[in-house]
Amino acid sequence: MTTEEKIAIIDRYHSNPEQILNILVDIQFQSEAGYIDQQTAQLVAEKLDISETRVYEIVSFYAILKETPQARYVLKICDSSPCHFSGEPVVSQWLQEKLGVGENQMTQDGLFMYHGIPCVGACAQTPFVKIKGEVFPHLTPEKLEKLLADLKAGYYPELVGGESHVEA
Amino acid sequence: MLKRNAPVLTARFEAMRDDPTDVAHYRQLGGYEGLASVIDMGREQALDELDAAALLGRGGAAYPAGRKWRHLYNAAGETKYIVCNGDEGEPGTFKDKALVESDPLAVIEGMTIAGYEFNAQQGYIYIRGEYRHLRAIFNQALENARAAGLLGDHILGMADFNYDIRVISGAGAYVCGESSALLNSIEGKTGRPRVKPPHLADVGLYLKPTLVNNVESYASIPVIMREGGQAFRHLGTPGGGGTKLICLTGHVKNRGLYEVDLGTPLEDILYSEKFGGGSSTGRPLKFIHFGGQSGSIGAADQLHDCLYSYEDLKDRGLAIGSGAIVAMDDSVGIVDYLTSVANFFAHESCGKCTPCRIGTLRILELLEKFQQKAGIPGDLAVFENMVTHVTQLSACGLGQSVGKPMLSGYELFPEEFKQAINWQTVERKEVAW
Repeated sequence: MTTEEKIAIIDRYHSNPEQILNILVDIQFQSEAGYIDQQTAQLVAEKLDISETRVYEIVSFYAILKETPQARYVLKICDSSPCHFSGEPVVSQWLQEKLGVGENQMTQDGLFMYHGIPCVGACAQTPFVKIKGEVFPHLTPEKLEKLLADLKAGYYPELVGGESHVEA
Repeated sequence: MLKRNAPVLTARFEAMRDDPTDVAHYRQLGGYEGLASVIDMGREQALDELDAAALLGRGGAAYPAGRKWRHLYNAAGETKYIVCNGDEGEPGTFKDKALVESDPLAVIEGMTIAGYEFNAQQGYIYIRGEYRHLRAIFNQALENARAAGLLGDHILGMADFNYDIRVISGAGAYVCGESSALLNSIEGKTGRPRVKPPHLADVGLYLKPTLVNNVESYASIPVIMREGGQAFRHLGTPGGGGTKLICLTGHVKNRGLYEVDLGTPLEDILYSEKFGGGSSTGRPLKFIHFGGQSGSIGAADQLHDCLYSYEDLKDRGLAIGSGAIVAMDDSVGIVDYLTSVANFFAHESCGKCTPCRIGTLRILELLEKFQQKAGIPGDLAVFENMVTHVTQLSACGLGQSVGKPMLSGYELFPEEFKQAINWQTVERKEVAW
């Protein structure tokens, strides 16, 4: 992602400090490595006229923002009580079998990683995974297998390029 | 006319499915009649209608909306802000998501009525990070309302009615659902709660008087103003008017979102085919967790004649909270369940105050020890004390709520906790606090 592209995102939000979360998440979701690197933190600080420390305080506080490189597809599994006792943990088992890595570990090709997160409001759709903004509901081992194959084949461009939307 | 047992907040969902942001269609279905009524009746009368409606805050705290509005109405200051809390983070809750997605104009109308009531220029809706994809639809609804002259300068052609709404989105922090933390987050700061008092109606966003209400509360406002406070109140019970959006999850057959009149028998909600449809696993339901992780737990077999109303639940030490209803069957041990709840609180504690930051972790550690059946005599007293201290000493609602699930669960199923203790070992004597 080029500096110009990052600046375009910041400009879309009129460099308004109120929109720092939108700015950081948009940049993160569109970046190749899926995290806020120091160069980006510096740029956002400069454009919003706040300190870099403040940007890092925010990045470390909010769970969606990341300080370290992520896999291309981060599969999120709900670990809050309603889902935890309604079949959601089986998704971790399936993923461990299919990907051969544990929670929070990246596959060697850098494509996949999975971890638990708190409630995403999809409690009636277990078992599911969430990737960026997208929920893949009512999974079976077969559906999950197909999802992973589709992701490898690049079928979900919206999960790579981030979301597009209009801002007021 | 409002009919009993008919959809009110979800009434337009089906009809507007194709384009929930279509203002003309929204107006055909009663939209913006609430705003027109308020302008017609005047601001003082609108407050009386809200009092008469007995609308209790739908985010979870059940604070009377009428009282909150009156406080802000009387607060000194020219500049006042309107804020909508859409940081729906209580596990097992997805009703605000449904409103924002399926009837965004109702939320906008409610916020616009508030803007008129308090002469505010700027409103904000804070949508949680996990619902970022809903921004597009909400922004479109805002855009359409502006184009129709219902937001922006000179709303409805009135010279001094200038008001607009901005969307802010979160980035994954449950604590931002706490009103003062939410305001900090809007200001571009980390979303940690402020020390209260002062009340946000006196010192809120950018230190100005601010109204913070939940999405469902705002969506109820146009109905109240259009139909009258009494009509709204009659849908519910004396302890709280209106309908409530509920989210049924866990081990019931028909999981999902429903709208019920307050005062509907809980048995109907759990077991009738119209709603939950009973157990999905073939095993009997054992306990119900109400209102999110911060709510209390009730035993299914002790709730036969309970109504789903503010007062009936309160009589039993329970609460409606966010509207989450999580049903668990008898395969789920209470210690395992509460460990999952404790894990959530330990993860979401913002770290600002010590009792919550450290206490939630200590509670989690104790419960994990109980899961291993590795408790020693005296541990149960330590558990009770720890929960009580976190509840009493924490600065905000997050830590103060920890006791509700923990102690209600412990009191309902004490024998399961006792089984987690190895009674042969030496007792742990706690140092006095």
